[in-house]
Amino acid sequence: MSTDPIWENSHTEPDVPLAEDIAPGTANDPVAGASEAATLTVDGQQVATQAGATLLDACEAVSTDGEVLALCSYDDEELIGPRSECRTCMVETEEHGVVPSCSFPAEDGMSVSTDAAAASEARDVNLDLLLSDHNLLCTTCGANGRCDLQDVSIQNEVVEPRYGVMHDRSELEPLDDSSPFIQIDRNKCILCNRCVEACNDVQVEGVLRMEGSGEDTRIGFQSGAETMMDSTCVSCGHCATVCPTGALVEQGLVDATTLPIPGFTHKNSAEGIVGEDYEHQPGQMTPMKRELDTQNEPRASASTVEGDATDGTATEGEDRP
Amino acid sequence: MEREAITEGTTTVRVAAGSANRPRGEELFRAAREPESSVASAAVGSTGIEGLEPLVAATLDGETAFFARCSTDRVRSVAAALGDGTLPTDGATAVVEHEPRVATLPTPEDGPLAVGDRVVLGGCGWRRPTSVDDYQAVRSPVAPSVDRSREATARIDEAGLRGRGRGDVAADAPVVEHWEAVAAADGDPIVVVNANEADPRAAADRLLLESDPLVALDPALAAAVALDATDIVVYVNETETLAHRRVRAAADALADELRMDVPIRIVAGPDEYKTGEPTMALEAIEGNHRIEARRGPPGPSEHGVDGRPTLVHTPRTFAQVGRVLAGEDMTGASSDPGTRLFTVAGDVDAPATVELSTGATLDAALPAVETVEGRKAACVGGVFGGLTRSLDVPASAPGLESARLGTNGVVELLGESTCMVALAGSRATFAREENCGRCVPCREGSTQLVGLLRDVYDGEFADGMLRELLRVVRETSLCEFGRDAARPVTTAMEAFETEFTAHAAGRCPAGTCNRS
Ligand code: SF4
Ligand code: SF4
Ligand code: FES
Repeated sequence: MSTDPIWENSHTEPDVPLAEDIAPGTANDPVAGASEAATLTVDGQQVATQAGATLLDACEAVSTDGEVLALCSYDDEELIGPRSECRTCMVETEEHGVVPSCSFPAEDGMSVSTDAAAASEARDVNLDLLLSDHNLLCTTCGANGRCDLQDVSIQNEVVEPRYGVMHDRSELEPLDDSSPFIQIDRNKCILCNRCVEACNDVQVEGVLRMEGSGEDTRIGFQSGAETMMDSTCVSCGHCATVCPTGALVEQGLVDATTLPIPGFTHKNSAEGIVGEDYEHQPGQMTPMKRELDTQNEPRASASTVEGDATDGTATEGEDRP
Repeated sequence: MEREAITEGTTTVRVAAGSANRPRGEELFRAAREPESSVASAAVGSTGIEGLEPLVAATLDGETAFFARCSTDRVRSVAAALGDGTLPTDGATAVVEHEPRVATLPTPEDGPLAVGDRVVLGGCGWRRPTSVDDYQAVRSPVAPSVDRSREATARIDEAGLRGRGRGDVAADAPVVEHWEAVAAADGDPIVVVNANEADPRAAADRLLLESDPLVALDPALAAAVALDATDIVVYVNETETLAHRRVRAAADALADELRMDVPIRIVAGPDEYKTGEPTMALEAIEGNHRIEARRGPPGPSEHGVDGRPTLVHTPRTFAQVGRVLAGEDMTGASSDPGTRLFTVAGDVDAPATVELSTGATLDAALPAVETVEGRKAACVGGVFGGLTRSLDVPASAPGLESARLGTNGVVELLGESTCMVALAGSRATFAREENCGRCVPCREGSTQLVGLLRDVYDGEFADGMLRELLRVVRETSLCEFGRDAARPVTTAMEAFETEFTAHAAGRCPAGTCNRS
């Protein structure tokens, strides 16, 4: 600790939570990538990789025969990913069968095929599965034209996704338009977790988390808040920067790319909107910011149970006179 | 010291009951102790055969009489007769002659207790669950016999031991690579005994922990010594209070006896199917409030609890580890030596857990139960097991796999009125509702699977599309949950395709699906 009086005086309570209090709701994943440099072949071409490389790194070093979409992978920041959830990066290896290239270590001597039937089928099906749960109203979306999902769909020449798209308006989640800075449209979310990692691992703000399970899995707030404005968000915008789709969009860009048709906006593309009652405030901090509370109780508990005598097993039974 | 172990007694009465029949079992135990006599008595765990419970075993000088579903009056008279020096055999379910002071249950010639080989199960329903003395009557603990040399690992390797159960890090593959990975990884190793299983059909691990926890705990301790692990976690379901208590008492007794300072902690995780998956087990043990699967590689053996190298085995696997380290002859199939536990469940009177040599076939388990209504098929491997008409299938992991069945130790019998399309639909729905939500093939794939199966009822059996989806769910899901989830539907379509086409034509051959 510094003994500099100026430092002491100027220092107030930190307004970031301690790292150990952050509860993003995601697994304690290991570091991905190879432990050492390697030479392997991808579609018959030899590739040399560095320590830390994944098969996706190897694939990106050459021109592959198959389209390795790798939608959820994010290479721009060390602390983010690989989440390895979308499974649109599957490749076939001689050694381990079909594997997700974004998180599989590039090991010496591996032989990778990107256009093997099983790998292409897997990428196609998984992309269509993502689209099946996506509100595909691109024309009213703030990310239209700068959306990774749109890009890979075009790259993969999707014409008609085999499982359709989410079209039943009653299935749509309401937009969260409560924050003056960032709008959330969970119907566009692919659960890539980039925003959660940007918020927790890069910014160390501890606002966003993954919550729920199965079909109810969604991006939520560690404080248990229902809306962005009720959360402890500091509006740094990092989440919106890393979001690959139109799920998190800065308010200024929400209607930036929609068609100029009167009455045809992002807001009326979903069934409902929450948070319209907030006045858009100039301050960057949400009211909840300093009242950090958490609703993250562990799901497992260590035992304090003692052995019990009523079992009749520990003490009774053997030595009756 | 006088007789320490119940097995030392020549005149004893035992009352065996599992958690399902525990209140009755306790009542009987109290009644058995009423007559004033010198008869030793013990409340022991289930034998695995629930239909016999509460089971009273009266022993006198190398002869044991069993009384199934015993009444209070009878147990009183049995205890009184023993006190007078006679073995009551009137109304006995079976009478067995054996060596005096046997440490394993003497098996009758026929009936459910005669099914399979009771090796790992030998102490269940015979030895007191938390008594180290009883355990020592069958073998010296293996933990003190191992050291930090590679010897224990070499013996596991030589034996070719495979894992047992979906909660095992090796699933049903050879375990030695995990022992080696844990030993080679950086950090303080830890050993996890994964007994978290919410599938009510899969009862084997619970049986071991309730009836004979030391058969798993002693080998787990041995593994900890061999791998230089600093602690052990036994991970159970929060609802399993009996297993919980018995493990605690047995672990404390073992620590006292062996004077070994590897602490054994018990962690109770959610009573949910997904949390038995090995990487989700790690998350629960770490105390995460939301449980999802962990990405790999590396897997738990290198990056486990708090990032430490972690050996994750089920109690069933540790029981076999114990046999190897005790120098037992493993026999069974050479590709999968030892025995496997199977719980026969489904359309039966009462479920039964039996032990089969891996050289046997599954139908050998059938005499352990009474079926309720004929048998049309079986689902082998638990909720995500494979469907089959025939049980003439090897009980070994490779044998089960080549029959496309599951290896989680369940043979669920399905009666004549079972509709395979409805069953496939219910298993797909289970996958949709219970998955952790992390990866697309499982989360979205199970949703589409349910939809495509529902379409069958509307006249459209898109079998090509279903097969494609099932392949992708099986091959690209992030964890074992999703990889297993495709199995029931895949195998139902293979073995019962005509039922699917019949439904598409508006007819349920089993007559159970009500179209309206
Ligand atoms: S909101 Fe965006 S960044 Fe966050 S998980 Fe969803 S798609 Fe990914
Ligand atoms: S396979 Fe299912 S349970 Fe496993 S990570 Fe994927 S969604 Fe979760
Ligand atoms: S990019 Fe590999 S799983 Fe998404």
